[in-house]
Amino acid sequence: MEFLLNPYYQQIAMFIIINAILGISIYLTLSTGQLSLGNAGFMSIGAYTSALLTIKAGLPIYLSIPVGGIAACLIAIIIGIPTTRLQGIYLAIATLGFGEVVRVVILNLKITNGALGLSGIPSISVAMGKTYSTLGWSEGAFGLNLQQLGNFSVILILLSVLAFLTFFTIRLNNSRIGRAFAAIKADDHAAEVSGINTTAYKLLAFFLGAFVAGIAGGLAAHITFYIGPKDFAYHRAVEILLFAVLGGSNVVWGPLLGSVILTSLPEFLRSAAVYREMIYGAILVTMMIFRPQGLLSEETLRFWRAKFSWKQPVGRLDEARRTTG
Amino acid sequence: MILSIEHISKNFGGVAALSEVSFGVRAGEIVGVIGPNGAGKTTLFNLITGVFSPSSGAISFRDKPIIGLRPHKVTKMGISRTFQNIRLFGHMTALENVMVGAHCRTHAGLWQGLWRTGIQRSEEKSIREKSESLLRLVGIAEDQDTPAGSLPYGKQRRLEIARAMGADPELLLLDEPTAGMNESETEELRLLIQKIQALGKTVVLIEHDMHLVMNVCERLVILNFGKKIAEGVPEEIRENKDVIEAYLGREED
Repeated sequence: MEFLLNPYYQQIAMFIIINAILGISIYLTLSTGQLSLGNAGFMSIGAYTSALLTIKAGLPIYLSIPVGGIAACLIAIIIGIPTTRLQGIYLAIATLGFGEVVRVVILNLKITNGALGLSGIPSISVAMGKTYSTLGWSEGAFGLNLQQLGNFSVILILLSVLAFLTFFTIRLNNSRIGRAFAAIKADDHAAEVSGINTTAYKLLAFFLGAFVAGIAGGLAAHITFYIGPKDFAYHRAVEILLFAVLGGSNVVWGPLLGSVILTSLPEFLRSAAVYREMIYGAILVTMMIFRPQGLLSEETLRFWRAKFSWKQPVGRLDEARRTTG
Repeated sequence: MILSIEHISKNFGGVAALSEVSFGVRAGEIVGVIGPNGAGKTTLFNLITGVFSPSSGAISFRDKPIIGLRPHKVTKMGISRTFQNIRLFGHMTALENVMVGAHCRTHAGLWQGLWRTGIQRSEEKSIREKSESLLRLVGIAEDQDTPAGSLPYGKQRRLEIARAMGADPELLLLDEPTAGMNESETEELRLLIQKIQALGKTVVLIEHDMHLVMNVCERLVILNFGKKIAEGVPEEIRENKDVIEAYLGREED
């Protein structure tokens, strides 16, 4: 219990969940085989939009975060239409450039407060605390004080967002759109000739990734009180991609696992702080050599399912089969 | 004429892959396109399916021009194809591959997929049943849950045909369906092509196996160096001097 109440650990838990949401965002773009490094840029658009709307316009947080996601999505439309024609490494370069442009724009705009960043962003935890005190729990409840209650609520909110997005992604995979995504990833020319509008679906995947990244950005902004252009620089884009590289990008659980490991690893390696970056790098090089598909793949899931003999033989259509009889 | 090709040419840089080729395909027939390697047969398929645009000429399907349409639109209009070098979605199961083929005949969107609405479920069910019956048609029903990439070669070829059939085509273009197959497999494929014709489909096939071509095709179009050198029923083609020359070369005087 002591462990659960420690605000420091609570904060780490929040970051893990936010990064897991970012893992879903990169998974969605990668599920059509598009290597995008722009998700940090979309995250910053979501974060700044949501933060500014609450600070300057007084919008409540529960509205400003979705608006931030929509803003990221709108920008994705503008840059996605030209860039999704690019493939592989060229798309990566273009989206990386996009991320840098966003960062530089934020750095130079007055409204974003330049390099100083925005501080005093309304916090979800405090907002929840206020709600609880109007409910008459100003002294706290369930043996927790108001701050602890607020933090717990934040974790619960984040978890439910994550759970919904995971549910959404799994349902998507089992639908005709998910099959189109998988076909495009496997061979986009064959997919196009088989009757799939590959351009439209690539754009859709790009938008979904941008929207989820924007939401993650908004959530992050309202948890940390402060955001600055440095939070969304190149290293952030690479970090998001690493979730998928480490965990595996063929199943949604891959980036989720990757984000949990890569966010909690620095905490475990704190005693070896000097070597942290080295260990980090060594893990990734080892992955590339021995398991380039990432920790989790469809085969891994199939293997464990068979091991625990869940009555689910092969393929991801099983769920569809059960529901459709 | 379900498909009519009029004076189409295609140049890649200075190379004329096809020049001034014209022919038509009647509904319900099986037409063979034959010719030596590099004659432009696959280029012809690529032009019909919208992968490339011809440098000049016109192609129409059911009297509607199809030049300039993107490949998925052409497929939706009713033309499906297979590839010379098999291009399946390797990690997806055989059944999923065929279901992808049925994509352009289904409509469920994100929202319906998310909440599994009634429409979405009945649509999934119907394309699933349709795909299963197509796998039965091509004779690989027992492999429906096997990833396409781990099927043996002959079955992969059949699966490509099933995937193309998933889009309910009126015209099926088969690019060397028996490449790499042995005699008995080729014979099974001949029966399959005739079964597909019996379903009311029109088939155009590129093939090198003369025995198959002569047995299954009602009409043949012969290409050589990008030009049509002959067209006619198999019996005529067998005697045609130009065709024999294209395949075997000329006798020294």
